[in-house]
Amino acid sequence: MSNFFYVAPEQMIKDRAEFAQKGIARGRSILAAIYDRGVVMVAENTSASLNKISEIYDRIAFAGVGRYNEFDRLREAGIRWADGTGYTYSREDVDARALANYYAQHVGDMFSEGPKPLEVEILVAQLGNQFRLTKLYRVAYEGTISDEPRFAVLGGDAETIKGRFAATEETPASLAVTLGHAVEALAGPDRTIPVSDLEVAILEDRGSRRTFSRLDDAAVSELLSG
Amino acid sequence: MGLPLFRAQDDPGPSFVHFADAAGLHGPAAFDVGAPHATTVVAVRYVGGVVMVGDRQATGNYIASRDVRKIEAADRFTAIAISGSAARGIEFIRMAQLSFEHYEKMTDAALTLEGKANYLSPIIQRNNLSTPLVVLPLLAGWDRGHQVGRIFEYDGAGGCYERQDFATIGSGSPFAESALRLGFRADLDRAAALELGALALYEAGDNDPSTGGPDFVRNIFPMMVTVDENGFDELPVDETASHFRGIAERRTATGGVAGSTLR
Repeated sequence: MSNFFYVAPEQMIKDRAEFAQKGIARGRSILAAIYDRGVVMVAENTSASLNKISEIYDRIAFAGVGRYNEFDRLREAGIRWADGTGYTYSREDVDARALANYYAQHVGDMFSEGPKPLEVEILVAQLGNQFRLTKLYRVAYEGTISDEPRFAVLGGDAETIKGRFAATEETPASLAVTLGHAVEALAGPDRTIPVSDLEVAILEDRGSRRTFSRLDDAAVSELLSG
Repeated sequence: MGLPLFRAQDDPGPSFVHFADAAGLHGPAAFDVGAPHATTVVAVRYVGGVVMVGDRQATGNYIASRDVRKIEAADRFTAIAISGSAARGIEFIRMAQLSFEHYEKMTDAALTLEGKANYLSPIIQRNNLSTPLVVLPLLAGWDRGHQVGRIFEYDGAGGCYERQDFATIGSGSPFAESALRLGFRADLDRAAALELGALALYEAGDNDPSTGGPDFVRNIFPMMVTVDENGFDELPVDETASHFRGIAERRTATGGVAGSTLR
């Protein structure tokens, strides 16, 4: 004979949230910010091949923190969704908000109904054009979605990093300046992050359809020193 | 479409075609509706790259269109050309472009040129064996690993064959091929390969009713592209125009015959 113990919904949600927060806090944070010509995403990542930031579509990028296997599956689903939607309709019909909503639904479902909540936080960034605005959508582990105005921080230490970056100039600056602020905010006053531990990517119009590009260590060093 | 999540054992991987199958994105097999078709496209290897020249005419029972683009960049280092059914061909180009980019985004690595060539085989096989709207593509590109231009042609069942010299597709092939066989040399440079490709296409347009030659009235000329270490490059109209004006002037001067040399 088995015993079923009653667990109040409040308690269950609290337990699940704590579990997800603990998992997310184990990894390093990511900061994404809008600069004068695009969006820059900066992650602290010691691996050069297991990426946290990735291209989804022509003007959409993805960033994830937490458990790699969980957010990488969401990344793949995002690319499939975007390519499938663009194939069915047109490339201009692929919208970051729709994707962020799907992520929020799935992550939210897993939080309340899954065997365990996903230990991830997701960012969907969109570079604006004449049809759409530049957007940073953050999807938290429990499925809440937020539209972040100037920058977004994901990960365990998000509040502290957010405070540090919020203190910088509000009007969009150049890539070099914004990247510098982002790295300083991620590192904090007491340490410096070596360039080899930074994963940096941008969304910027450079005359071609695809706007995503990764910045290698040399490019990052040059931007940070200039 | 919802968020396409798969369990690890059902995952279609980085192949867009496998994903499209799993997600049911393909339409039903087509039947013969007398769709516009016919073409000539030639590809020529030269030292440092490949040239592709293709006509612009879509032909049904009459001329359906005079400015079709039959050559497209499948990605930065790959050109793809189509012959056969226009409807299926355009769909084929879309699928190829999407598949190569999809693979690159999923894996963070570009497919090799040979990988791209092989990937198209089963797509051609499936199309051609399931519908009468046959598509025959031609793939040419710059192999970044081996630093060489390469050409791949296909048969109707999807068989993929690499060509060391040149390749032709479409109804004007016999005429284009004859010109290429006489004019091809292994040490062609870019300019000579472009000129030979233009001449082969002129011959096809001159003899095959379903291949559009240069249209001096409407200022529409066959497309000419090169793919080399700097990637895909389409020649602007004034350059393609000058190639075909040159050929037409020489032919006019000799009363319509090529003469003893290739000209």
